[in-house]
Amino acid sequence: MNRILVVDDEANIRLLYAEELKDEGYEVVTAANSAEAAEKLQAGTFDLAVLDIKLKNESGIELLQKLVKERHEMPVILCSAFSCYKDDFSAWLADGYVVKSGDLSELKQEIARVLAKKALKSKVEG
Amino acid sequence: MDRECCWNQELLEQEACPKTGEGEEDLLASRRQRNLEKCCECPRFLSELHRWRDDGNPLAPIVDNLLGEYRLQKSQIQSLVSFLDNKSLEIRFFHELGSVLQSSVDLDEVLSVALTAITAGKGFGMNRAFLMLTDREAGVLRGYLGIGPRDIGEASQVWNEITQNDMDLQTLAQNFRLNKLSSERAKFHDILECLTVPLENKEHIFIKALDGKTPVMVENAYYHPDVPAELTRLLGVDTFLLMPLISRNRRVGMIIADNFITHRPITEADMHSLETFGFPVAFAIERASLYDNLQIELNRVTEAGRKLKEQQELIVRMENMALVGRITSSIAHSVRNPLMIIGGFARSMLKNSPESDPKRTFIESIVAETRQLEGVLDEILNYSDSLYPTRDFWDVNQLVESALRDTADALNLLGYTTAYSPGIELPVVYIDFKQLSYCLRTVLQNDINCLGKERFIAISAQARDESVVLLIEDRSRSISQAELDRLLVPFSETSDLGAGLALALCKTMLEKQGIPFVAQADPQEGIHYSITLPTRKEEH
Repeated sequence: MNRILVVDDEANIRLLYAEELKDEGYEVVTAANSAEAAEKLQAGTFDLAVLDIKLKNESGIELLQKLVKERHEMPVILCSAFSCYKDDFSAWLADGYVVKSGDLSELKQEIARVLAKKALKSKVEG
Repeated sequence: MDRECCWNQELLEQEACPKTGEGEEDLLASRRQRNLEKCCECPRFLSELHRWRDDGNPLAPIVDNLLGEYRLQKSQIQSLVSFLDNKSLEIRFFHELGSVLQSSVDLDEVLSVALTAITAGKGFGMNRAFLMLTDREAGVLRGYLGIGPRDIGEASQVWNEITQNDMDLQTLAQNFRLNKLSSERAKFHDILECLTVPLENKEHIFIKALDGKTPVMVENAYYHPDVPAELTRLLGVDTFLLMPLISRNRRVGMIIADNFITHRPITEADMHSLETFGFPVAFAIERASLYDNLQIELNRVTEAGRKLKEQQELIVRMENMALVGRITSSIAHSVRNPLMIIGGFARSMLKNSPESDPKRTFIESIVAETRQLEGVLDEILNYSDSLYPTRDFWDVNQLVESALRDTADALNLLGYTTAYSPGIELPVVYIDFKQLSYCLRTVLQNDINCLGKERFIAISAQARDESVVLLIEDRSRSISQAELDRLLVPFSETSDLGAGLALALCKTMLEKQGIPFVAQADPQEGIHYSITLPTRKEEH
């Protein structure tokens, strides 16, 4: 079962993501900020992270940069209230980008796409 | 001493005095005055004096002497009066000239006055004059303006005109400036072009005169050791005057004057007069040049002030934009997250509720309303993002390919295929990449009615003049031009928030970047979009 780390400062969003992604067959762990995310990452491995770009007092982009640097094997999908971040250079580091919506089908599709790509890559690399 | 002694009488009748003419009647009543002015030259008096001499009158030689001395003194006085008259005229001329030169800061006016004064009969009366100015940056003394006739025919014509019109110096100068300045410059272009001497060439007669700061009369120029033969040939005269123009020890320029037509000798007096004239001319030229420079600097400062004002306005606008950005960011988080949570949980509940659940309709309404509100929010955010474009140079192929990649899934779902024909060696375009990318995505996947036939979008890019034209042809969508035009107007009757504002937003975004966006529709032919992207950064 693929493990997904969800980082978002909104408790209800974390709950929504957790419920919906569990329904899709993923194991979901949530974190409210980067410190909590770091703890969860220390405690176990994850196949994917879903990050909110705007956390309460910190930037999701900075966390993204940190994750790419330290855990480059773990793909990251960015979620944001802004569609404009999609064309932001710093957001290009992410493997996927989704504009937040009550309809989670786009996020689910993106997660499936990114995980499939990761699996293929692992297979090719042996 | 009988009847001819009219000089002794106090009063005379008109016919009694042979020397007093009409208009001199007052002399008839003044013996003293008449004696001094008329009697000394009167044949009656001289004949009486002669008789004295013949009679051996001892007073005769003394009166003869006195008379001779008187005549000499009178002649000298007349000569002095004439000299003073000339000097008065000269002073008046200099005063007139000085007034014009002192009051003008227009270089052309100063030069017109100076050269007219040298060549006008009422001025120094030289036939021809050339003005050379010092170009300090280039380090040369350069021919700037010439005045005078080129041949006898022209000379007669010009001098006749001047005689007939009887204009004063100022009027002549004004006339020259208005009607002849350009033509005289063109007339002497060949000579002026050759009159360029480096200031470093200390051996050249011009530079010697300039450094010496005194006028130089060049005579016998064809055989003069300091005068280059080509200069003599160029001027066509063997006598000319060089008058350096010096102001506050600065070498302003030089005037060359000659009598090319009349060959009248240039006298020492001419030279001294011109020397006196040289200083105010040099001063006026320098002042006018400084004024020109001042004007240029003033224009620069004015332009800088204008730009500064623009920049200030831009900063204010940017601050306003930043404020709009902060507000929309706040809205995005304040509204987007709750909306997402409401919509998300509503969907979740809907998914898990049985079809027969009577509350399902309510939940469906919540889902539909939140979807609508999310659409509104997207449009507001995109609009606020469009208010201040950030432009740079981008590759068109990268732009199109990125938009095609982003829309591939959505277009696939709709059953669309796309084909992009990139242009050959396309230049980079100056655009806001994010906004253009948004516009392309919107144009590619807008929800205008699809026809049942083949769904295909052709995109091409072509370099044209100073732009790259993106053509997007979608033959499978059907709409009239009037309906399409309405879709391009934001908040028009047919486009409520969250329901089809996207195309209007694209048009607004592109217009803000000065990018022409044309959308043509035909119910049978589909929609043709053209977006003309600039390849150059516009100059402000």
